[in-house]
Amino acid sequence: MNERKSKILISYLFVLPALLFVVVFLLIPMIQNVYYSFFAWNGLSKPIFIGLKNFQKCFVDPNFVRSFMNTIIWVVFTLLVPVSFALLVAVFLKEIKGGSFFKGVFFIPLTISFVSTGVIWINMFSTKGVLNTIITAVTRNPDTVSWLTQVPLNTIAMLIAWTWQQMGVYMVLFLMGLTTIPQDPIEAAVIDGANKFQIFKAVTFPMLQPITTVVITQAIVNSFKTFDLIYVITHGGPYRSSETMAVTMYRETFSMFNMGYGAAISLVLSAIIIIISGGYVKSQLKQDLLHY
Amino acid sequence: MKKKLSSSMLIIYTALVLLAIIWILPIAASLLAAFKTPADFGSHKFYQFPTSFGLIGNLRDIFEVYRLHDHFLSSMYYSMVATFLAIIFSSMAAYSLIRLKPRFSFLLFIIIYSGTIFPFQMYLIPLYKTFNNLGLYNTRLGMILVYTALVIPFSLFVYRGFFTTMPRSIEEAAIIDGCSSTGIYLKICMPQAFAPTAVIALFQMTWIWNDLLFGMILSKSVAIRPIMVAMATMAGIGGGSIPRQMTGVLFTSIPTVILFISLQKYFIAGNSTVSSLK
Repeated sequence: MNERKSKILISYLFVLPALLFVVVFLLIPMIQNVYYSFFAWNGLSKPIFIGLKNFQKCFVDPNFVRSFMNTIIWVVFTLLVPVSFALLVAVFLKEIKGGSFFKGVFFIPLTISFVSTGVIWINMFSTKGVLNTIITAVTRNPDTVSWLTQVPLNTIAMLIAWTWQQMGVYMVLFLMGLTTIPQDPIEAAVIDGANKFQIFKAVTFPMLQPITTVVITQAIVNSFKTFDLIYVITHGGPYRSSETMAVTMYRETFSMFNMGYGAAISLVLSAIIIIISGGYVKSQLKQDLLHY
Repeated sequence: MKKKLSSSMLIIYTALVLLAIIWILPIAASLLAAFKTPADFGSHKFYQFPTSFGLIGNLRDIFEVYRLHDHFLSSMYYSMVATFLAIIFSSMAAYSLIRLKPRFSFLLFIIIYSGTIFPFQMYLIPLYKTFNNLGLYNTRLGMILVYTALVIPFSLFVYRGFFTTMPRSIEEAAIIDGCSSTGIYLKICMPQAFAPTAVIALFQMTWIWNDLLFGMILSKSVAIRPIMVAMATMAGIGGGSIPRQMTGVLFTSIPTVILFISLQKYFIAGNSTVSSLK
């Protein structure tokens, strides 16, 4: 009897440290954050309760609205370019022999941080940088493009850097998905005389669907979370024109000291992310419940 | 038939080669810049080879002006200690939740796992305020605590997945021989869990090494600030010379690149369990 009791005690003691870390440093702060979002507060003075005003402000604050639109541009672009490239490259790599060299090349950016990626692409986009040198050499026009200070260009420039960083992640995931597809239906289609594109459209792509869902969810969530790259390349500027929601949250909170408003923005951001990843997480947990 | 096949292959190879060139270009340009002296960089095109060896001088500059080696050591310390703590605590928790099955084990799992769902922006303001109040702001202890907490949920997820699939036969034999739960965890489960531990170490050390946000918000002095904050400061708009910055990239990427190369086989093996939750 005593032995059983000590076993139960041990089972809880083993979970305790991990649980304490998460509760103290993540879950309690999260609840505090919800609480702060109802206050006008600059971090020093006494917080004033203003109810939902911080959330209302999101709709009318031109900085927030622009930042939200920029975030949407990031999401759409991520789905159109890095994700599509990744699918294409993964399918190509399956077709050829000795793809490990290419795999390695597209994998390199994953070993480098977002900050380093940002710094590398500053070298590419700066006034006398790599891209302008190439453009001048090709067009023989000495005028340089100021990639990072003009309004649609700065976001496009960062999206190119983003594609360079992100494509490898999605490529690895698609390759994983492609290896799990059974070969029989593909062989059957080949015998029926289908060409490669038809096989891809009718067999491979539909069978990839579970991994495609994962990749798309990841891509959207990652776009909403982008911070480091923008912070390093443009700081969200000039004049806050290239901010996304995560950058706006940081700026409002830690440069302008609108702590309550910052907390509200982080809540909006979290709500969007949870709604998007919710279905995916739920299906994962449902699978988990089967083990119990 | 054969000819048609080779023409489609040609298209595929051409597309891949073109894409690979685009992917290598930024790396090549950065490497070349890192080896150039600032004067060399200013007077030559990016693709021209350096006329004098500038890397050592650039390194000396970033050490003297930006103290990058101090930040390097701090980040090394954070990523190793916090990952080590997270590995111990999360494997203990996972072992307990899967094998000892305390009451509410699924609920306990959900509580810890929920740490992976929310974006980090949810924690920043309260952590900043609490760390200030408790005197943890700008301390090594504070950085270790927060990194450990951030890394535990995902590590637990990986260990839990591993322990559910691990065969029980050896453990059952050990129980019959009178081995205690702690003994089974230490002597049987953990030695078998080498692959997930390697994957967790790779992912989490890299993540902590690459973190910018928490380092920026919870620290301010050179001795405490992690390396990516120093890099971001170095790159600050318009400031700093490109050769210095590229040397910085090279210097700060060494640990993660080495880690990826040396643990590559575990990364690929573990990828199917790890998925891409982070």
